[in-house]
Amino acid sequence: MLPSRRHFLQATLGSSALVSCGLSVPQFLARSALAAEVQAKGTKGRGAKDNVLVVVQLAGGNDGLNTVIPFADDGYARNRFALRVPTEQMLKIDGHVALHPQLKDLRKLIESQRVAIVQGVGYPNPDRSHFRSMDIWNSAQRNVEHPRDGWLGRTLEHGRHQAGFDVPALHLGSEELPLALASRQLAVPSVESMDSFRLRTSDGSVPLSTLKTLAEIRRPDASPLLDFLCRSTLNAYAASQQVQQALVEGKTATPYPENFGLAKKLKTIAQLIDAGLGTRIYYVSLVGFDTHANQAQSHSNLLRELSESLSAFVADLAARGHLDRVLVLSFSEFGRRVRENASQGTDHGTAAPVFLAGGKVQAGLIGKHPSLSDLDQGDLKFHTDFRSVYAAILDQWLGCPSQTVLGQKFLPTPVLRA
Amino acid sequence: MADDAAVSAADLATVDRDWAWQAFRPTAAAPWNLQRAAHLYRRTGFGASWRELQTALGQSPAECVAEWLSTGDGDSFYAEVRSTVAALWGTDNRQDLPAWWLYVMLHSPRPLLEKMTLFWHGHFATSMAKVTDGRLMYQQNELLRRWALGSFRPLLAGMARDPAMLIWLDSTNNRKSQPNENFAREVMELFALGRGHYTEADIKQAARAFTGWEVRQQIFRVNDHQHDKGEKQVLGQRGAWDGDDVLRILLDQPATAEFLVGKIFRYLVSEDDPPPALLAPLAAGYRRHDYDTAWLVGTMLASNLFFSPLAIGRKIKSPVEYAVGLVRALEGRADTYALATDLNKLGQGVFFPPNVKGWDGGVEWINASTLVGRANLAWALVGGRDARYANKIQLQKLAALEGVDTPAAVARRLADLLVAGPLPAESLVRLTALASDGPRAESVPRVVHAIATLPEFQLA
Repeated sequence: MLPSRRHFLQATLGSSALVSCGLSVPQFLARSALAAEVQAKGTKGRGAKDNVLVVVQLAGGNDGLNTVIPFADDGYARNRFALRVPTEQMLKIDGHVALHPQLKDLRKLIESQRVAIVQGVGYPNPDRSHFRSMDIWNSAQRNVEHPRDGWLGRTLEHGRHQAGFDVPALHLGSEELPLALASRQLAVPSVESMDSFRLRTSDGSVPLSTLKTLAEIRRPDASPLLDFLCRSTLNAYAASQQVQQALVEGKTATPYPENFGLAKKLKTIAQLIDAGLGTRIYYVSLVGFDTHANQAQSHSNLLRELSESLSAFVADLAARGHLDRVLVLSFSEFGRRVRENASQGTDHGTAAPVFLAGGKVQAGLIGKHPSLSDLDQGDLKFHTDFRSVYAAILDQWLGCPSQTVLGQKFLPTPVLRA
Repeated sequence: MADDAAVSAADLATVDRDWAWQAFRPTAAAPWNLQRAAHLYRRTGFGASWRELQTALGQSPAECVAEWLSTGDGDSFYAEVRSTVAALWGTDNRQDLPAWWLYVMLHSPRPLLEKMTLFWHGHFATSMAKVTDGRLMYQQNELLRRWALGSFRPLLAGMARDPAMLIWLDSTNNRKSQPNENFAREVMELFALGRGHYTEADIKQAARAFTGWEVRQQIFRVNDHQHDKGEKQVLGQRGAWDGDDVLRILLDQPATAEFLVGKIFRYLVSEDDPPPALLAPLAAGYRRHDYDTAWLVGTMLASNLFFSPLAIGRKIKSPVEYAVGLVRALEGRADTYALATDLNKLGQGVFFPPNVKGWDGGVEWINASTLVGRANLAWALVGGRDARYANKIQLQKLAALEGVDTPAAVARRLADLLVAGPLPAESLVRLTALASDGPRAESVPRVVHAIATLPEFQLA
């Protein structure tokens, strides 16, 4: 793939893009061009073997209590009636907690040392608004009311001098770009599927080279908004060809479940990783966890989708030999109220479990399940700050000093094997 | 402050706020010209055809704004489109209603009404993905349209009773033993006050006031037996409040008008963050006019600020504005089922907002996938090769190009019609080259496609 990528970069960027463009040169393009030069001289880019982080955001607030179930705590039966999972159906992990029956694959992954579950993860003075709490998790800035950038966006800014010639991060999904990836300095592409990247230029339309020239023309009086659009347009043209190229070269390996959107996204990510794309951060969402009413069936379906999709992804990466450089992080903006509500659902709560998967995780349960009798206004008390989990990922996986990104020092949660 | 150069040097933080909201009177330095007329059409509607622009230039800006706000036009159009809607209930096509609404947006003689209905749809964002019942979603859509340019007071009261909204927020069942906090929270955070103007205790107390408000067999009712008649304290006011009392208390708060005015400003005037002092006269006026949205919108649209460089080209088009604007400017039609599907991929599925907060808009619309998607959609609409859209836009009959002969004139005319600001000279050279390439039936669609991919075309 080396010659075609180099060819692409020369064709797409050329020297003209970087010189004649009257704008600030997009980071991504500058780095790509630099990397292409390095490659052209025969130096292997570092990007290919770097660690990859895949974030699976469970949007809406996952009912952690019915995901990792503290069956030995009699508070469970006292607070869950219609939604109580029958003891005989639970998948016990130890004498205290069990997994929801739809998490069969996930339990196998724990047994094969590929999944870790951090229990009781949250943050002080929890906010029960979806948007605010998701903003807090995504920005890792507890006290900023309108955060403008995310913890991964800041990570990308920090790492921009390291070589790596592909899009630094990719969001896969039709929803808006998650705040976690937002940055003041670089634009992370967001794609619905790989087809979203294919600029149709074959059927008599204007060729890409002309469109690119039009976007590159100097605009000395450009407003910041127009400048942003010029950079985004060039970024879109470059990124689309790059990812398209990776997909053409990517092949499929192990089977994925057919009907799950999450599985489709993870499959695409596996193809991109296998194609040698230097992208280090991938972000996907699984939505629908806001189960205020009639939770049992919908929550069951979601957990099954999570478990089976993740399992297929891990198997695929293992078969392709990439599992040891991939880490999956799955979290939700909050757990749900301990006591179920009158609509066979649950309302917004606080602490919940976080999942990590990959070849290097410290598998099994990490931290205790929060007590169901020692509550804070009907909600679980957290014991692990989510920023401690981030700190471990930043310091020990992405090689980015966590204090820089998080603004203060957090003791890393031991989620990774040395 | 009256000339463009002085205003461009200023920004929203330093602009004179008395000048900003006074009615715009054209001067030699700030004339009523094609650029300003097209700007007005892009913001108040979705975009103007060449004939509409010529008509506007024959009127004063004040006359144009008054006409936009008038309620007289369009009765027969609306009677006709409403008569077709009932036929949609029997089907289970999720795109029926989006396609219906996009048709209305494309062809309504009152585009500002649709523009503001779309604003309120984003404000009271409710998704058919959860509600599923098309009839209820349509009912909500008509509620939005009825008050889109009316008073926010009855709109809010209607929303608090709207079955689709209550289903969307899981609030169809609200008993006094277990008050449902969801509507109480969203009405404070997203519909009226905005964050920072209430406490968790206010939400809990307000939730009690809404107990007994429920939906049975898709119809709203107040169940007196389930209503908590006790005393509540909401935002400092104490009494045996019910839901309507809470809404009144919310409308008593200055924060509500400030929140709504800020949002409508960003929707109609500029993406840039306005300083609170700039909006203060409008927020005060909105309350004084009992939340009359027509007064607010009319004041904004007729203002000096609106016609200044601080507003022209200072917004990013939403996907709906991008596509509907292109089709309207080109005097065309579109298969609105196909359009609904394509707009959803670009991030704006009408009737399917992403969450309760609606669309964040602005720079959030833009990413690698959506920019490529916009370019592809533009080509699908005008290229004539996509069977879904073929022959719906007839560029050879375009009024804008009547009597326009040379490639340079074609390029300039299409740029004048479609783009918010002046283009660099080099862009026009390139567009002229495209206009000279091949027979006109092939070159004109390519010029339109190229214009629709320009960073400038993304600006409203």
